[in-house]
Amino acid sequence: MRVFEKNPLEKGLAERLREHGVSRRGFLKFCAATASMMALPPAMIPAIAAALERARRPSVIWLSFQECTGCTESLTRSHAPTVEDLILDLISLDYHHTLQAAAGEAAEAAREQAMRDNHGNYLLIVDGSLPGPDANPGYSTIAGVSNYAMLMEAVEGAAAVIAVGTCAAFGGLPAAAPNPTGAVSVMDLVKDRPVVNVSGCPPVPMVITGVLAHFLTFGRLPELDEYHRPLAFFGQSIHDRCYRRPFYDKGLFAETFDDAGARAGWCLYRLGCKGPSTYNACATMRWNSGTSWPIEAGHPCLGCAEPRFWDAGGFYVPLSVPTGPAQDYLLAAGALGAVVGGVVATSARGRVKAEAAVRQPVTVEELEQKL
Amino acid sequence: MSATPSSTGSPESSPFTLERGLAAFRAEIDGPVAAFFSSCVHCGVCAQSCPFYLETGDPKYTPILKLEPLRLIWAAEFTLLGRLKGFLGLNKQVTDEMLSEWEELIYDSCSMCGRCSLVCPVGNDIQAMVRKTREGMVASGHAPEGLIGASVRAVQTGSPMGLQWKTLQVQINHIETSTGLTVPVDQAGVDYLVMLSSMEVINFPEYLEAITRIFDHAGVSWTLSTQCFEATNAGIQIGNKDVAALLVQRVVDAAVALGVKNVISPECGHAYTAIRWEGPNLIGRPYPFHAFHIIEVLDQLRAAGRIKTEGMETDRLSLHDPCNLARKSGVIQQQRNLMDLVAENFIELKEHGRFQWCCGAGGGVSSNERAEPLKLAAFKMKKAQIEEVEPERMVTMCATCRTQLEEGLEHFNMDIPVVGLTELIAEHLVEREPAEQAEGAT
Repeated sequence: MRVFEKNPLEKGLAERLREHGVSRRGFLKFCAATASMMALPPAMIPAIAAALERARRPSVIWLSFQECTGCTESLTRSHAPTVEDLILDLISLDYHHTLQAAAGEAAEAAREQAMRDNHGNYLLIVDGSLPGPDANPGYSTIAGVSNYAMLMEAVEGAAAVIAVGTCAAFGGLPAAAPNPTGAVSVMDLVKDRPVVNVSGCPPVPMVITGVLAHFLTFGRLPELDEYHRPLAFFGQSIHDRCYRRPFYDKGLFAETFDDAGARAGWCLYRLGCKGPSTYNACATMRWNSGTSWPIEAGHPCLGCAEPRFWDAGGFYVPLSVPTGPAQDYLLAAGALGAVVGGVVATSARGRVKAEAAVRQPVTVEELEQKL
Repeated sequence: MSATPSSTGSPESSPFTLERGLAAFRAEIDGPVAAFFSSCVHCGVCAQSCPFYLETGDPKYTPILKLEPLRLIWAAEFTLLGRLKGFLGLNKQVTDEMLSEWEELIYDSCSMCGRCSLVCPVGNDIQAMVRKTREGMVASGHAPEGLIGASVRAVQTGSPMGLQWKTLQVQINHIETSTGLTVPVDQAGVDYLVMLSSMEVINFPEYLEAITRIFDHAGVSWTLSTQCFEATNAGIQIGNKDVAALLVQRVVDAAVALGVKNVISPECGHAYTAIRWEGPNLIGRPYPFHAFHIIEVLDQLRAAGRIKTEGMETDRLSLHDPCNLARKSGVIQQQRNLMDLVAENFIELKEHGRFQWCCGAGGGVSSNERAEPLKLAAFKMKKAQIEEVEPERMVTMCATCRTQLEEGLEHFNMDIPVVGLTELIAEHLVEREPAEQAEGAT
């Protein structure tokens, strides 16, 4: 992996990949995977291949603020050779705290040079939230520069900003109540550049690379939802794509983590699964090269890719049960409605059972009396 | 209990009461029913898909309106608003009078063909709810006499028309004489157990003969069972799961007793959906065998190259898809594959397959003498379709559809004969060496 390369090479990508032992076939496989990830028709594969072959490696500056490095781990801890490995060949990662070999002044100099050389064209990737302009800047600094100042300086020459992970996208853990550092998301601060939120704690690695590949192929960012997340990956809820969905539809729920239902793979809704309100690609792409994903491992979805992750209620509290103190009357009314609805539904279900129990079977002898 | 009316009691001393009916209605209200009623947008598209409404022009035949008793109970007892209204005494009550009025809508003017379910823009399965509503109608004493009679005969004699094995034995003797083949009876361990409908035994004996010849030709091991030969299910038509389960159980017992691998439903639409789709749910466990319609089996044999035909029908032929087969079960291409074997001048009705119009006799309408005028009214839709393509003969694969087509065409003075697809195939089988069939011939 090349890190800290100051100048994007002038060679085409395909040539570069061959130099690194990636065959033509491997390259086309990557293009096909990219097309399918982005939900593009197979006819687009040659177009992607052609575009990527011609692509100059864009400069990428990766800023890490109040984060746990989980997002970077997610991107790099995948089995080689994969899309993730290839994508790092696609870009010139000119500055990345964790990955770069350089340290101290040399590292910061590299960042400044990349910003100068590629002004207006580089991609700015941010992971982690940062203390807002009104917060004490001392909570998080790099080389003596506050996160806020560094972000604003870097945004200036960026073509687009990709907020990787829920902290960067929505504030995440650092912004959870009571939010001692006054943390805010990237989207809260950057208003004059396109922002893509690749949320998730951590985000699915293929989603990060998918967004980068889209940018390289088409020279623009993918289509986004109302939370600025790429629709290709965040268009469907976990619930809609969950392999346990048939059990939900049948009303078969695990009640504890080790009951017979849990062992039989029933729906985890009553154990607090946030699948119905969470939009992400876990259910289709899964993790660790498609090995498994949280729900397959027997744990309910935490809703980590959604805004207000951490503050949206208890992990193990079912969705329809109100969580935490009501924040306003509307929420209180909604919660009351949910409770009453739940009570009515429960009593209605009890009703059907009771009526089914007292329903008298019809016999032919009785029918014969009617003749 | 909310404010449901206390039964005024039926005039005669019937075992069926309003309370018993309401309990049966309530027992039928499950998640899907609640979802369907809450999502109905009152668009009226179901009316435009119903031959009973279109041919009579009477808005009371709008499919969703047929469910009003079930809907009222759902709204009053299973929704919050309904329960609040119940405290204030504002709910409309389901009474015996109302059910009497609805009896015609639920039984006489609905063949449960499912076209309304198909076109509903919000996906409400209206015909399934009609089936559920019938449970309450039976239990409250509002089922039509024709269907009660058919159910009683089906349970007591084994056939809704009161047929017994000796009648079938006479047909078997005829077939064995005319074909020189043996009709296997009570053969254990064979591949297929063939079930019949009474209609085929009485009105269309050529059907059994055709099966005998085709299976002999294709080398299929099969049998009839003296224990149970009738697969039609009057319990499904009248809408009672107790009777329906009992009748399905008989078929299962016969199949298990003989240890067959497959059961073939006759050329009868509702018998097929009863045995194929509803059966395991009714008896509460999976079958130890597979269930097929005869048309599916014939198409499998065709695909395996085991049916060799010669000659083609030159008449202009068209096809009526039975709703239970095409719309409800997706058996659409199979009959067309078989038609291609033997018909060189085949023309589709304009709306066919999944979207065909019902003949008007299904869902117990044909066993319900009172419904005769409505049945013929609904047939006008089919008649118009047939007139459009002017076939010389019609082909179908359901004994009830076939009877209705014959009666309807005759009623409207149209000289178009109707043939069964199985017979049509049998007529074109390549003749085998005489030596092989000499055995058993007189």
